[in-house]
Amino acid sequence: MALYEYSWLILLAPLFAFAVIVFGTRIWDLLSRPRVTAATTHEEAHAVEEHGADGETHAEHDSDVELIEETGPHGERLILENDEDPKVPQLTTGAKVSGYVAIGIMGLACLYSWVILLVSANVPPRQPVDIHLGAISYTWLQQSTASYIIGFHLDNLAIAMMVVVTTVSLLVQFYSQGYMENSAGYARFFAYLSLFAFSMLMIVFAENFLVIFIGWELVGLSSYLLIGFWINKKAKPAEDRLSPASAAIEAFITNRVGDVGFIIGIMILFVNTGTFNFADLAGPASNPLSVAHNFANNQTLLTIAMILVFCGAIGKSAQVPLQVWLPPAMEGPTPVSALIHAATMVAAGVYMVARTFPLFAAAGPAAFGVVAWIGGITALFAATIGLVQSDFKRVLAFSTISQLGYMFVGLGIASPLYGPPFYGPGLGMFHLFTHAFFKALLFLGAGSVLHALHHAMHREVQDMRLMGGLAKYMPVTAITWLIATLSISGFPFFAGFFSKDTIISLAFERNYGLWAITLLTAGFTAFYMLRAYILAFGGKGGAYGGLWGGTYRGTGEPHESPITITLPLILLAIASIFAGYWTPFFSYIQPGAPNLDIPKILIDVFTTPVGALSVIVALAGFVWAYILYTRFELANINAFVQNNPVLRVLHRIVLNKFYVDEFYDLLIRYVVLGISHIEQAFDTYVVDGLVNGTARLVLTMGRDLRHVETGRVQTYMAAIFGGVVVLIALVFVLVNFVK
Amino acid sequence: MGLTLNHFLVLGALLFCIGLYGALAKRNAIAVLMGIEIMLNAVNITMVGFSFFNHVKPYSTFLTGQIFAIFIITVAAAEAAVALAMIIAIYRRRSTVDVGEIDMMKW
Repeated sequence: MALYEYSWLILLAPLFAFAVIVFGTRIWDLLSRPRVTAATTHEEAHAVEEHGADGETHAEHDSDVELIEETGPHGERLILENDEDPKVPQLTTGAKVSGYVAIGIMGLACLYSWVILLVSANVPPRQPVDIHLGAISYTWLQQSTASYIIGFHLDNLAIAMMVVVTTVSLLVQFYSQGYMENSAGYARFFAYLSLFAFSMLMIVFAENFLVIFIGWELVGLSSYLLIGFWINKKAKPAEDRLSPASAAIEAFITNRVGDVGFIIGIMILFVNTGTFNFADLAGPASNPLSVAHNFANNQTLLTIAMILVFCGAIGKSAQVPLQVWLPPAMEGPTPVSALIHAATMVAAGVYMVARTFPLFAAAGPAAFGVVAWIGGITALFAATIGLVQSDFKRVLAFSTISQLGYMFVGLGIASPLYGPPFYGPGLGMFHLFTHAFFKALLFLGAGSVLHALHHAMHREVQDMRLMGGLAKYMPVTAITWLIATLSISGFPFFAGFFSKDTIISLAFERNYGLWAITLLTAGFTAFYMLRAYILAFGGKGGAYGGLWGGTYRGTGEPHESPITITLPLILLAIASIFAGYWTPFFSYIQPGAPNLDIPKILIDVFTTPVGALSVIVALAGFVWAYILYTRFELANINAFVQNNPVLRVLHRIVLNKFYVDEFYDLLIRYVVLGISHIEQAFDTYVVDGLVNGTARLVLTMGRDLRHVETGRVQTYMAAIFGGVVVLIALVFVLVNFVK
Repeated sequence: MGLTLNHFLVLGALLFCIGLYGALAKRNAIAVLMGIEIMLNAVNITMVGFSFFNHVKPYSTFLTGQIFAIFIITVAAAEAAVALAMIIAIYRRRSTVDVGEIDMMKW
């Protein structure tokens, strides 16, 4: 069908936008700027720096760091460095056009992907789509029997993911117009966003492990570029925040650790089967390329290979033990955080496991066991840390890690080894689908708050202790954020409820341990999300029992954000409610899977203890957070915790993220660097010793043997004739005595 | 008992050894040159001897050895001229013809 066959346009659209910006509008932007004559005095140089339309060219910044004195939340005087990138008074036309190009092209791609989704889901014959996109596929390399094919294809799983990626990317790009309105490097930002979307779409369209790995690494690169976008910003040790540059490096390197496992897993599969292709690998035992055929006698090796492949997902999706990169990645601009958390970066791990679902199913039960338990442990671990964070964006970071854990639980417990119902990758993908909308909404809403506070306080504020009562200043942001909060916490009738409740109720059938973990996590999630909402938007003394307004603990007067920011919030809020009502999602992803039975789920809440419990736990979390944060002052709660020895120790452990970062610091400092020192010594003394020793030997021999060259003709003559005599003697001996 | 090939060969060998001794042991460059000339002529005698006592048809009719000897005499004359010119040039510059002192081209 032609509609599907041209879907490669969606893949190439963001790449095209990237190329247009990098090679077209950005160059035009740079060329069309008024030329600044060489500044002579310091004042002039500074003025050029501040008002040049792009801050990338500015040099030393240390000499003119502005110091701002302010009063902190507990009355202490804070001296803050203004180390932000230079602001531009207004954007040049070229920069604006770059944004329009990216948004326009992404809009078309988004429209096309929605058309594909609606047609494939609703128009008869509703056959599962499975189309090889021959237009952009080609054989990259052919070596006797092994072929390396850059292949793309489209199926229902890819369509569902493609819609998420293009929609969230479009809304984030639209939103960035408002959020980055006076930021230096505006055009560059849109170029990176387009590259990010392209990288993710490459993973989505991948037909084999080779392409998915290329997309995988491109996603890593784009996230590196975007997390470190504000390159001039410094670390803030008082707030436990890294500089964006360090955060970008941390994200990249942590992902490398997981990728080692990923690539080894891919190689084990390739060496044993001779193909990267997902369809061939997952084929029946009659296919000589399938894992069923090649690993029939060695299922343990297949299990090991799949667990190694899952290592890649652990790194990319920030699961325990590689979750450390995600909270620092908050240092990027907030739209980037939304993109990373909702659609592009962390979703790649879940999507990859969903894509290779049949291979995990073909491996031993340990493969899916690892997936489910890593997910469960991560969900609880991150939710616990999220309970006490005071940084607005960091709460959301831990909630993402926690929700990704849910997705992996959903994938792991859907293993066909357990018997029916056969959901396939549908459970995890459904939660990914709904989560993409409400998590993008949460981040964009948080960005709206930070944007408003930046205008009100003239500096970057992310600490929730400096917020409060914002609902009466920014009602649209508050109400959309509340919708997202209810959705992520699994409040009935919201999207998150259906996706999460399906996972929890299936976990009850599969494994009581996982069920208990997911249930507890749901309670924690409800607590910390409502806590964040009340701390930012509500508080003691507000309307509706403290949910709407209250004391504002910051300075200045915040205002609602412009339409470019609020419009994506409203659209995402609608999606956060209604995304859960796509009932045939499971059968769309996996033919034969049961549909989402919404009436049954709602009836179960009132009739079965398991269904009731999942709602009761979430409500308990809500009530607890509500009572704590609307009935008591923040300072009183803090004082109570600090005065109770047990609570104080617990609070400190959780606040410091169970000291995982410190443990890794010690591990790297003493173990990894220790091994590195040994290797360095080996390199210095053995490898370099061999090389330098050879050179020194030649040098010494040359220096000593040069004295043979006396410069006297007679010495040489004697040597020649002596040589002749020796040769003659040799020939004589050989001829006469050696037979 | 007339002349045999052995007589020629022994004479050639003796002359060659005398020439070699002169070339290796003498300090005077002209004496070294003379030693070389003696070695060349020793070789000439050996070749002419071989050629003369060769009775194998058709090679005996070719006179290869004699022709070789004439060539060597010619080359030796040219060599002597060049070498003597060099010795004179060196003498003019360094006031010596002692080969032990002419050792500038060493390490």
